[in-house]
Amino acid sequence: MVTKSAEKQQPSPSASGKSATKWIMTLLSSSLGQKFVMGITGLLLCGFLVVHLAGNLLVYVGADAYNTYAHDLHSMLLLPVAEVGLFLLLFAHIALAFKLTSDNRKARHISYHEKQSKIEEPPSFFGKTPMGRTSSWMFLSGSIILIFLIVHMIDMKLHLNPAVTYTVETPEGVIEADPYSIIVQVLGSWSAAVYIIGTIILGFHLSHGFWSAFQSLGLNHPKYTPWIRKFAILFAAVIAIGFASLPIWGLFIH
Amino acid sequence: MAEAATTVLNSRVPEGPMAEKWDRCKKEMKLVNPANKRKKKIIVVGTGLAGASAAASLAELGYQVQSFCFQDSPRRAHSIAAQGGINAAKNYPNDGDSVWRLFYDTVKGGDFRSREANVHRLAQVSNNIIDQCAAQGVPFARDYGGTLANRSFGGAQVSRTFYARGQTGQQLLLGAYSALMRQVGAGRIQLFPRREMLDLVKIDGVARGIIVRNLITGEFEKYSADCVLLCTGGYGNAFYLSTNAKGSNVTAAWRCHKRGAFFANPCYTQIHPTCIPVSGDYQSKLTLMSESLRNDGRVWVPQSPDDNRRGNEIPDSERDYYLERRYPAFGNLVPRDVASRAAKERCDAGYGVGSSGQAVFLDFRDAIARDGRHAIEAKYGNLFHMYHKITGEDPYQVPMRIYPAVHYTMGGLWVDYHLQSTIPGLFVLGEANFSDHGANRLGASALMQGLADGYFVAPYTTGHYLGSQNLPSVSTDDEAFAEAMANAQDRNAKILGVQGTRSSDSIHRELGHILWDYCGMSRERQGLETAMGKIRDLRDEFWSSIKVIGQGEQLNQNLEHAGRLADFLEFGELMVRDALVREESCGGHFREEHQSPENEAMRDDENFCHVTAWEFTGVGNEPVEHREQLEFVEVPLATRSYK
Amino acid sequence: MSETLDLTLRVWRQPGADVAGKYVEYKLTGISTHMSFLEMLDVLNEQLHAQGDEMIAFDHDCREGICGMCSLMINGQAHGPDTGTTTCQLHMRRFKNGDTIVVEPWRAQAFPVIRDLVVDRSAFDRIIEKGGFISVSTGNAPEANAIPVPAPVQETAMDAAACIGCGACVAACKNASAMLFVSAKVSHLSTLPQGKPERSSRVQNMVAQMDLEGFGNCTNTEECSAACPAEISISNIARMNREYMRAKLCSKE
Repeated sequence: MVTKSAEKQQPSPSASGKSATKWIMTLLSSSLGQKFVMGITGLLLCGFLVVHLAGNLLVYVGADAYNTYAHDLHSMLLLPVAEVGLFLLLFAHIALAFKLTSDNRKARHISYHEKQSKIEEPPSFFGKTPMGRTSSWMFLSGSIILIFLIVHMIDMKLHLNPAVTYTVETPEGVIEADPYSIIVQVLGSWSAAVYIIGTIILGFHLSHGFWSAFQSLGLNHPKYTPWIRKFAILFAAVIAIGFASLPIWGLFIH
Repeated sequence: MAEAATTVLNSRVPEGPMAEKWDRCKKEMKLVNPANKRKKKIIVVGTGLAGASAAASLAELGYQVQSFCFQDSPRRAHSIAAQGGINAAKNYPNDGDSVWRLFYDTVKGGDFRSREANVHRLAQVSNNIIDQCAAQGVPFARDYGGTLANRSFGGAQVSRTFYARGQTGQQLLLGAYSALMRQVGAGRIQLFPRREMLDLVKIDGVARGIIVRNLITGEFEKYSADCVLLCTGGYGNAFYLSTNAKGSNVTAAWRCHKRGAFFANPCYTQIHPTCIPVSGDYQSKLTLMSESLRNDGRVWVPQSPDDNRRGNEIPDSERDYYLERRYPAFGNLVPRDVASRAAKERCDAGYGVGSSGQAVFLDFRDAIARDGRHAIEAKYGNLFHMYHKITGEDPYQVPMRIYPAVHYTMGGLWVDYHLQSTIPGLFVLGEANFSDHGANRLGASALMQGLADGYFVAPYTTGHYLGSQNLPSVSTDDEAFAEAMANAQDRNAKILGVQGTRSSDSIHRELGHILWDYCGMSRERQGLETAMGKIRDLRDEFWSSIKVIGQGEQLNQNLEHAGRLADFLEFGELMVRDALVREESCGGHFREEHQSPENEAMRDDENFCHVTAWEFTGVGNEPVEHREQLEFVEVPLATRSYK
Repeated sequence: MSETLDLTLRVWRQPGADVAGKYVEYKLTGISTHMSFLEMLDVLNEQLHAQGDEMIAFDHDCREGICGMCSLMINGQAHGPDTGTTTCQLHMRRFKNGDTIVVEPWRAQAFPVIRDLVVDRSAFDRIIEKGGFISVSTGNAPEANAIPVPAPVQETAMDAAACIGCGACVAACKNASAMLFVSAKVSHLSTLPQGKPERSSRVQNMVAQMDLEGFGNCTNTEECSAACPAEISISNIARMNREYMRAKLCSKE
């Protein structure tokens, strides 16, 4: 007991308060601080998803609407800044996920012979999966989404999908194909399968992540938390169905 | 039986009017200056309400404290299980309560076998306890305006009980534990969990240290100090089945007794009337249902001894509400000892219910009809839930079955007004001492006493002791430590060496049966004499046929239990002897020879208005009986009547 | 009414902290359905005793669900299948004849096994030591009614204070996180007016110690709360998060 506690002594609180930046470091290295960052980045990424989905749904309006949107978006001066920001958000979210998951594995260094949940009623469709409740496989769902994102980047950013023709020959020479034709090709290609799986898994991820972010940020209230939890399901469903509809449309309808 | 020794036990009760005694005592006390306090070492054994509060308070004063408990954390001491509440004379409900009335009720409830001055002090400091606990963040129940709520409890005619749902003991203990842990963090208390005290070390006749066994490694360890506080609870587990925790034991107190501390009134045990009945031979402990249930529940048995219908199927006309019948004034709210004996009387007469016939009904049908299920659920929901879980029966539908069980022990090591035992430097606090509850403890008074001793009495009186002694410094290298350690080690080695056939559990159960049958709710000479012989035989049986599996140098729960049992087997004999010499009925001690024609207890104030304090003379030898005469000045002796 | 069960038990046996352990299978017959789970283990121990085998070490004390000493992972569930129940209050009527029951100790880096099913939970004490208190020395308390506490606030504090410190939350959490335990204490003390003066230092010091002990992080799976015998709500964890951020971002400490 005595020796144990000596091993696990924290530095005296007075020493930690002195430096102007030290408190930030303690905050960011603490379990709660890291969860806080997870929550904030997650919610901001949710915001991005809403904008992204709204833009993409213009596909259904028609080629012109979509092309205009894409053109206007890409001519925004601040777009690269926003993209860097988005990348940083994603990076922080993913890096922390790896760090926290590794810490968590260490905390349960020996696993149980048998483990069963004591939660009786899963809250929704998203709660019942072969892997158990959504909350228990967030790292897995996140990893699948990461693979999906990589494919998505290859398709849409790096333009390396072999099944897609990214250029068109015009009398003026070879120019980039219009965004609508690219998206139609991508959604009709083998990537579509990855997109369908990826967006559905994203829905699972959000159904827990959206609500969970509020919990991690300490934003709970007996009156509002039940609504946030319901909204998380709705939000996850809208995002998943909205995005998944695109490859389905690309594959079967268009 | 030999005449009592003439030694006068000096209780050191201060002179003067009752209400001024404690102030006078404090005024006359020596103080220790702050610089010297830092040099003084105090050992506190046990971390229940008394131990945790004493350790914290002493450390706050600046002493170096070492705190020991056998559990894995100080927070688990058995004070945690108290459900009902804690009394104080705050008079918040404006119903006429006062320090004097709390004092009066406690002396009367104790059937005039407690020490008046101690009880008065208890009532005096009761209010400070509530202040202290509320400041620590104990979440006592509150009224809507935010002030503290009270309820009436255990037959008191005023509402003076403070409570935190059905978990008052837990919340008070967590308060004391948090104060203790604050001092651990501050470096003023060294904590030693999973340690069992196995001997007291005396040097020059004064308590100077203890020997403990580290329950994880099995090693014996020596600790020296300037004084020792024993806060190790009661001996109810001598009966095997009791509401005490499985680990509760008499070992520390008994080993101190063997070193010269007198044991007072060991026959005073409290049998609590509302416990869940025994269901089979495998039963390992009994569960208490809070006494508060009797505020709304009605106790009854069928009028016909052969009535095997379910409780809810028996019509009112065929029920015998025996408490209401016998005690019309108090009805179901008679004190614990009275309610327990009445239940036993019915069951012995063949009216008991349930498969064993050792139970009576506690029925909420009328209360539910009167107040609605919702109101009853709000008050007792957790208790009903617990009952349902244990018995598989729904008490909203069928009446509960209850039976008395050993719950608390009023006897304990003899202490003077300063809570010092007959060994100088050994202080005894809480249930482990004998002083405040006489022959019967009132509901919600145990928590009060533990905290009073720990927060507000011992810090003063131990300070006085340390301030008025010129104690030489000692180290654990002293040969007294070696001798005590060898003594403790030998005993363990001896137990391990028997290598017989019987398990400690089987012998303990047997001891429990003997004590319950002959020294339980009612006792009589012949039975007690039989019990004495049986206990001696059982003790011999233990030492010739106990089998402990495993080694001493490891965590060995079998060895721990056997060691505690060995002490219970010595202690049990003293309990029976004490019951034998006390030829009267008082409080929890009911001698069948001393009852009125209506089966009510008859006290004998002429011959037994005293404390019996026993001096150890060797195992199997007749102990020496000492007496402390009790005087009742403020509360004149009177017969308790609840009719 | 009183049926009996024949059972197979698969129990984790480990002779000491630094010794490898293994599962050992035991057969039990004629177990009454009225027995508590621990009484069933008592019966098994008596059986082992009779055979001269080492008895199974397990922590227990009050056996009425309040001391928090008993533990046990029973068929993969902390304190067994019932909700709001400790192992000592679990009864054998919950099982069926012929069942195989797997009994494991709490598993967490921060709760090392001492022997068989006994683990070391002193990490909890060290967390409390860092701030799980209100600093009021004996004798220094104001009149109890001087600080009114609104009944709903008191109820919230009481809900959190009901924690029995058994560690089931850690055991049930897939990350072996102690957030529910720590947050219950933080909530209990910081919701009450008495606890406000120290709220910033309390939460920061307790969380720092919790991290140091090697508990995992919270991923809001709610398993802790489902396994908690005192049914402590995860709203306490949110409150702790809030308290912690408030302390880190807004307080001077």
